[in-house]
Amino acid sequence: MIPGRSPAVPAALAALLAGALCLTLESVAPWLARFPANWTLPATDWAGTFLEWLLLGLKPAARWFSWLLGYPMLWANAALGQTPWPLMIGTATAIGWYLGGLPMAALGLGGLGFVLLSGYWVESMNTLALVAVSVPLALAVGGVIGVAANEFPRIKSSVQAALDVMQTVPTFAYLTPLLLLFGFGPVVGMIASAIYAAPPMARNVILGLERVDPEVREAAVMSGGTRIQQLLLVEIPSAARQIMVGVNQCLMAALSMVIIAAVIGGFNDIGWEVLLTMRKAQFGLALMAGLVIVVFAIVIDRMSAALAHERRRGDPRVAYGIVALSVLVVLVFQARLPDPSTLTFLDPAAERVDRALGEFTANNGEALNQFRNGAMFYVLLPLRIGLDEAALPFTWGFQWTATMSAGLFAAAAVAGACLALSGRAVSGLLLVIGSGIIETGIANLPWPFVLVATFSLAWVASGRRLAILCVALLATVLVSGLWERALLSLYLSGAAVFACAVVGGAIGLLCAVAPSIWRVVRLVCDMLQTIPLFVFLIPVLMFFQIGEFSAFLAICAYAIVPMIRYTRHGLVMTPPELLEAAVASGATPWQIMRDVRAPYAAPTVLLGLNQTILYAFAMLVIAALIGTTGLGQSIYLALGSADVGLGVSAGAAMAILALICDRLVQAFAEGRRTALGL
Amino acid sequence: MKLFLTGAAAVALAAGNVPEGAQAAELGAVDEPIRLAINEWTGQHVSTHVGGSMLEAAGYRVEYVTAGYMNMYQAIADGEIHAALEIWSSNVSDDYGRKLEAGGVVELGDLELEAREGIAYPSHVAEICPGLPAWEALADCASRFATAETLPMGRLVDYPADWGTPGADRMTGLALPFRAVPAGSEGALIAELRASTERESPLLIVFWQPHWAMSAYDVRFVDLPVGEDACFEDPAWGPNPDAVNDCDFAPSRIFKAAWSGMREKWPAAFEILSNYTLSVEDQQPMMGAVDVDGGSVEEVVASWMAANGDKWRPVVDAALN
Amino acid sequence: MPRDGASSGPTVRAGGLWQVFGANATVALPDEVALGGSSADIAGRLLEKGLNPAVRGVSFDVAPGELFVIMGLSGSGKSTLVRCISRLVEPTAGSVEIEGEDILAASKARMTELRRSRMGMVFQHFGLFPHMTVLDNVAFPLKVGGMARRARHEKVMPIIEMVGLDGRERAYPRELSGGQRQRVGIARSLAGDCTVWFLDEPFSALDPLIRRQLQDEFLEIRTRLNTTIVFITHDIAEALKLADRIAIMRDGEIVQIGTPTEIVLRPVDGYVSQFSRDVARGRHAKVGSIMRTEGEMGECGGPGLRADMTLETALASCMSLYDPVPVLDDDGAVIGMVHPADLASSLQVEES
Repeated sequence: MIPGRSPAVPAALAALLAGALCLTLESVAPWLARFPANWTLPATDWAGTFLEWLLLGLKPAARWFSWLLGYPMLWANAALGQTPWPLMIGTATAIGWYLGGLPMAALGLGGLGFVLLSGYWVESMNTLALVAVSVPLALAVGGVIGVAANEFPRIKSSVQAALDVMQTVPTFAYLTPLLLLFGFGPVVGMIASAIYAAPPMARNVILGLERVDPEVREAAVMSGGTRIQQLLLVEIPSAARQIMVGVNQCLMAALSMVIIAAVIGGFNDIGWEVLLTMRKAQFGLALMAGLVIVVFAIVIDRMSAALAHERRRGDPRVAYGIVALSVLVVLVFQARLPDPSTLTFLDPAAERVDRALGEFTANNGEALNQFRNGAMFYVLLPLRIGLDEAALPFTWGFQWTATMSAGLFAAAAVAGACLALSGRAVSGLLLVIGSGIIETGIANLPWPFVLVATFSLAWVASGRRLAILCVALLATVLVSGLWERALLSLYLSGAAVFACAVVGGAIGLLCAVAPSIWRVVRLVCDMLQTIPLFVFLIPVLMFFQIGEFSAFLAICAYAIVPMIRYTRHGLVMTPPELLEAAVASGATPWQIMRDVRAPYAAPTVLLGLNQTILYAFAMLVIAALIGTTGLGQSIYLALGSADVGLGVSAGAAMAILALICDRLVQAFAEGRRTALGL
Repeated sequence: MKLFLTGAAAVALAAGNVPEGAQAAELGAVDEPIRLAINEWTGQHVSTHVGGSMLEAAGYRVEYVTAGYMNMYQAIADGEIHAALEIWSSNVSDDYGRKLEAGGVVELGDLELEAREGIAYPSHVAEICPGLPAWEALADCASRFATAETLPMGRLVDYPADWGTPGADRMTGLALPFRAVPAGSEGALIAELRASTERESPLLIVFWQPHWAMSAYDVRFVDLPVGEDACFEDPAWGPNPDAVNDCDFAPSRIFKAAWSGMREKWPAAFEILSNYTLSVEDQQPMMGAVDVDGGSVEEVVASWMAANGDKWRPVVDAALN
Repeated sequence: MPRDGASSGPTVRAGGLWQVFGANATVALPDEVALGGSSADIAGRLLEKGLNPAVRGVSFDVAPGELFVIMGLSGSGKSTLVRCISRLVEPTAGSVEIEGEDILAASKARMTELRRSRMGMVFQHFGLFPHMTVLDNVAFPLKVGGMARRARHEKVMPIIEMVGLDGRERAYPRELSGGQRQRVGIARSLAGDCTVWFLDEPFSALDPLIRRQLQDEFLEIRTRLNTTIVFITHDIAEALKLADRIAIMRDGEIVQIGTPTEIVLRPVDGYVSQFSRDVARGRHAKVGSIMRTEGEMGECGGPGLRADMTLETALASCMSLYDPVPVLDDDGAVIGMVHPADLASSLQVEES
């Protein structure tokens, strides 16, 4: 950023002043440090009362809808459940062959073969039935929202906001109201997954329709088509490619929500198996059940991608042949086909994995402990409660004193001044602010400072509108009495995001340089994104026990993926001419990476960071199963006690934090993109 | 909606087999299946399948429906699930109370499964903290249980936050230098037990029986002063004169609950489930057969039903006569 | 090949250069070359194998200080060829020598060194770094060469002035017009004091007015520098205007190499003559090309034609003359005769 031209310096100064004032006046005015409890409003109760009233009103309609949805569910279930397994495998292979030739056919055969051998065939078919109904629902809802936003540009911004909310409010937060509305059973899980899976569809429809070539649009108008004809015959087909991306993302999102449906139950699906094994801490079996979902995700993802990219299709006669062959197998071996639920070919492998986990834990207990303690003592604890409370004789070997605080601030001030003198005033101010945060700890940050800092940041990123919006949203969290829990959540996800940014960025860089590494990393990324994360809670817990560090690792495992993907993508996508220009200028590969690729990739990397932040917040809820405090825990408490108000309020607070981070990073990314002239 | 059916074939009773006694409860709507809740743990599966098999023996059709333990009361009140046969008083959703009050749910009496909750430890911990199982020993070896988050206090793994904070209450009550860390889930508790056993590391945990992990990880309870009502109300009671909760857990009650419409729709089934009881001695071996030996719940329960007709047949007969 | 020192030999020499795209091209090419035949035959066999021979056995020399233009339609392989010579792509076979040094044998480090000190390159779409100012863009080759910030800024300021961008050095590429952007590209390629200057269709992306302006400025810059230039274009008018010599490329092969006059007046085949058909020859061909040096020499005087006059100018001077006109050298001595009839017939556009 160029000093003088941007408002960054006054903004950073304002934040610094607010922080310093709060720190010095803390003793005189304790309300600066902790928001007084009697200033809060019983917003949680109000929300509860209002929602229950609302839900009661909606209930009859919802129940009718639920009853209606029961039918396709029943049919899908009957169709998938009654079909003999050789026919299912044959059909998947045939579709694979038609869509993408031999590799896809092998994928279909191998994938479903794995499902069969795992012994989870029945559960998997139930899961597939759930997805088979919820995805069309999500596609329809998303498609209608997208088209509506395109037809009525005035509602576009509010639609975007609604989509953001649908994606950021944790599903667990609205399970209770959904249960109340739609009654018990798989329909609730289906609706929950449809709510989560519809936004990607809607977004891609909007994007696709926006990008239709104006000339094509005008040609449709001049041909005398009605609006409906223009839309159906010209615009939607022109946007087909983008819409197919939406379909693909929608499928993946629905699959990842399968596990949520299982928390409610009513359905003997693969998610329920994961929950059962997770409860017994059987890592091997949980992993296997989780892998079944991964296999489905990969098969569906690759095949729908093949469908979207209109490649050459395989010979349909071969596909019919495969189906006919499987019918033949069913007819000939009818009686002798093994019952898929009795197959346990993979159980020994699962057991071996489980034993290996146990042995590893047993053999490396001390090292693991030291690793965790190191991370806790020197990183996480200071970040949460500040150096003044975290540096104690039995952690750091000495007691943090007021003199040390003064020394830290003085050193930061000197270093900041040096930076400011060398023309980097913003970096200098940020350094001083950073030292203040480390000294105080995120969980103890005075609320006026947080408000001012957020305001300043939003101002610099985008301007007054965003700044006011962010502060208004934060203020609602403040007065709702969820502030301290929100800060705890902010701390944990913040630490995870930081770690993901550093480690994920480095891995992304490595993948950009070495394609062979990327091939391996890509598989791991695919797995991390689709496997139910409950599965990974077990080893993390075994290694590091209940506590923040385990939660931190679990969040990282999930949230690191977009950082890796986007960093690599950004670095790889540098225009070839820029690279040639750099080579022709005599730059070494390292110089090209530092001076050309990295700056050019910056906006893409920022978008990756944005995704990482959203993922970290999403994972907070699941990490609460490890045992963390904060908003995630509140959501579980609410779920357990069917407290609609608390659940929705905590969910909303979480969404607010996520949205603010999202808007800030997006604004910065947009600024970078404009700066690069993209 | 696909509900997983197991042995749903109704055992039609010959008319001659039903004695026409005056107290005989009506069978009610035998054509409609009774739906029983299947929650997340094996013990509950066993209890439910035993109860379900009794209903089938009486001539009913039974469906087993998976349902989240914490979230099933709305479904019971709506009549979509008809009964839940193993509910722990120590860990019951607030929603249950509300639905009971509103009249959607009725209690079906005790299962009489003798449950115990307490502060527990895997047996190898006795070597780390000599003096266990006496609770007084904990005061001196608290530092052995200390971890990064709890220093300088010891660490006690408590129930998940939504189950309450009994462990933290005990530590305060008994003035023990332990900080309670809430586990996030039952899986987290088991993983703690498993890791502690594998690594022979110290662990103090709030736990309960009957539970398959009690024997799998050789878990022992700490001896605390016996919990009486006075302990929870009168600070003067117990070793700590200044605090309540300075004693062991009050014994948990395990009970059954049903949809309030059940009594009318299936009178005999209501009667059978109300009188149905199961002991720890019966349940625990069946749990072992499932969790440790890898048998299926249906098979294990079926063979128990065949061998122990004397324990359940009278309840069914009494309702039908 | 014997040579008597880098200074007197060609600055750039390409010999039997092949660039074949596709899997296993490095294995397939020598096999096909060993089978023999013309380069077109070899290319045909490669195409049958599913490979794509973009440059097919090209050889040429560029003399020191020469402005060598490679002209061809899109897809003729000219951009690939210049990338082979600058080793931005690795040629499949052949040799490239720059000032006598075989650069295909050079190590990576040596290549980097050569690019910093001897080569400069201008790209069709400018290849400017969007995140750097004009100053930083131009100074980039010096920066990667390790020159200190102040020193390199001082060094490039004259270059920025030379291309007429002084006052805009703090601007970002997105703030410049297309013409200004290419001036940055030119300045950057010159920052390293190159001895070989590659320009890959530098003016193709610009509109005609700006293009002509930049062509003139380019010629102006050229007179001040003593570099050898390889210039790629698809525009015959541009080639004729700028070149000392032109190589015409088609399907990866060089069809003809010659001076502009040779290309215009003596095209080797129909393909080349198609290019020159629409060109006003009078503007490009010189009097020297149609001058007769045998036979009777006339008296000094007349309109005073010179050998390096274009035909158009000569015609204007001889409008009313029917007799042969003498051609004079700088000292006024007669060096040959031109018949006005030859003058007129050479301007006639061939009908195909």
